[in-house]
Amino acid sequence: MMWRRFRRSKLALIALFYIGVVVLIAICASLLTSDPNNVDLASRLRPPDRTHRLGTDDLGRDVLARVIHGARVSLSVGFAATAISLIIGSFLGALAGYYGGAADWFVSRVIEVVLCFPFLLLVLAIVALFGPSFLTVMIALGLTSWTTEARFMRGEFLRIREMEFAQAARASGARDARIIFRHLLPNAIAPVLVSASFGVAAAILTESALSFLGLGVPPPTPTWGNILSTAQQHIDYAWWLALFPGVAIFLTVAAFNIIGDRVRDALDPRSE
Amino acid sequence: MGSYIVRRLLYGVLTFFGITLAVFILVHSVPGDPISFYISQHMTHLSQPALDAIRHEHHLDEPFIAQYLYWLRDAVFLNFGNSILDHRRVTDRILEKLPHTIELNAIAFLLAAAIGVPIGLWSAARSGRPVERASAVLFFLLYSLPSFWVALLLMEFFSVKLGILPLFGMTSDDYFELSNAQKLLDHARHLVLPVVTLAYAQMAIFARFSKSALTEVIRQDYITTARAKGVAPQRVLWRHAFRNALIPLITLLGLTIPYLISGSIIVEDIFQWDGIGRLYFTSILSRDYPTVLGLTVATAVITLISGLLADVLYAFADPRIRFEAAR
Repeated sequence: MMWRRFRRSKLALIALFYIGVVVLIAICASLLTSDPNNVDLASRLRPPDRTHRLGTDDLGRDVLARVIHGARVSLSVGFAATAISLIIGSFLGALAGYYGGAADWFVSRVIEVVLCFPFLLLVLAIVALFGPSFLTVMIALGLTSWTTEARFMRGEFLRIREMEFAQAARASGARDARIIFRHLLPNAIAPVLVSASFGVAAAILTESALSFLGLGVPPPTPTWGNILSTAQQHIDYAWWLALFPGVAIFLTVAAFNIIGDRVRDALDPRSE
Repeated sequence: MGSYIVRRLLYGVLTFFGITLAVFILVHSVPGDPISFYISQHMTHLSQPALDAIRHEHHLDEPFIAQYLYWLRDAVFLNFGNSILDHRRVTDRILEKLPHTIELNAIAFLLAAAIGVPIGLWSAARSGRPVERASAVLFFLLYSLPSFWVALLLMEFFSVKLGILPLFGMTSDDYFELSNAQKLLDHARHLVLPVVTLAYAQMAIFARFSKSALTEVIRQDYITTARAKGVAPQRVLWRHAFRNALIPLITLLGLTIPYLISGSIIVEDIFQWDGIGRLYFTSILSRDYPTVLGLTVATAVITLISGLLADVLYAFADPRIRFEAAR
């Protein structure tokens, strides 16, 4: 039903197809290109030509290979960070929505506190304090972005916790944990997945910003952000360094945002 | 009304303590205390009793909760100690840079609102037509552009290729030799690219937000009533819908502040704009903990206050909130 309505949007299908292709490219990155860390100082900062289709960077490394391998970092950080925020957010949101009262009050206060911090500021602080690595970037993004998921989950739980099927489960003597995880969670997950799609987009955007600022996944691992940060040093000359990784970030983030938007429309009964 | 504001303020105070506690826990969960990091870098020749004395002076030999209370006592009065770098008061350093950030953000905010809100309202009024659908996609694309990339492309085009705008900085090198009018022009030219970089994504947010606000209002029964009793469509929009659609925009005041500060870090770094975003980033890199702590708390408190302000304004603008809260 939802898929049928989602399918009606051509743009969303294109976005989904594009993400499928990017995921495939990221998985097969090593098969598709040469070594992204192959330094060739003889051919530094070459514009795009036959051998280097997207040019080379300041160490003579192939930009195409680096952009393709960069997809790995962006996608895996994006998915992993969103998975963390989905777990934290769903858990706290479910507790708040199911038990209400003190649990709800407490979770709501914690959300208020987290929302007061400028997102990037907090992420930068965590990454810088614990040292930049794949793991810290992922955890920092996950720990700071779960509030949307929590609020959606709380709302859904409030809506469905008194429905007949939940009461039936309670009447048949199921324990709270079982009711929450087996009965309510599967029925509450759909709207949360919408925010997860936006979450992946935001995580990819923030990861690239961190890499750009020099506090992301550390070099020589290629990321879209750190190619752009090289581009900044050679801005008066090497336009290809600035153009291609940026296009990659933009298209991927846009695709996740569009999918999130269309899934939300498909779930919204008023959009008919 | 009064009780609503009082309750909101009490929650605000509670959130303030939450903010300080969160920041304090974050910094203290880092392995090793800040002093030992500093000492290992600057004074390797200190004896153990001297080290203990320094620890004692900064309360680092006391339990966690006592350390937090000492720090909180000062933080309440916005005293975050002295910078490790130049030993000046953190509060002074922040206040010195803050005007630069406010200048940049205020201009970007007003520009984004002045363009984004009318576009959003205009496209919502054309609901269902191709132009509305196209604009929705356009907002999304704008919102998905990484700001640092946009900044690079703008620099590439306007500064390197055309050479009509400065690459970075707040003023030119020969600024002090210029006449007053030239100074103003010079500063304005330096403002253009950072302002555009900050404003384009916000504009998309404003447009999307005001569009969905107006769409929401148009679905209400009183709009149907107005239409049914024969009010002209234009008049329904102007008299009945627009005014109510503008109220939710107040909440954007509270929502965009943290977003602006996040954006400032990137933009100020790229354009070498001497504001608090750049101060924060350089402090992080040089591990100037007091400045990092101070700025994190200060920006969170700014967000908190603007959120409270937005809620109170909202209650004034929309009587339904007051009645609901009073019940």
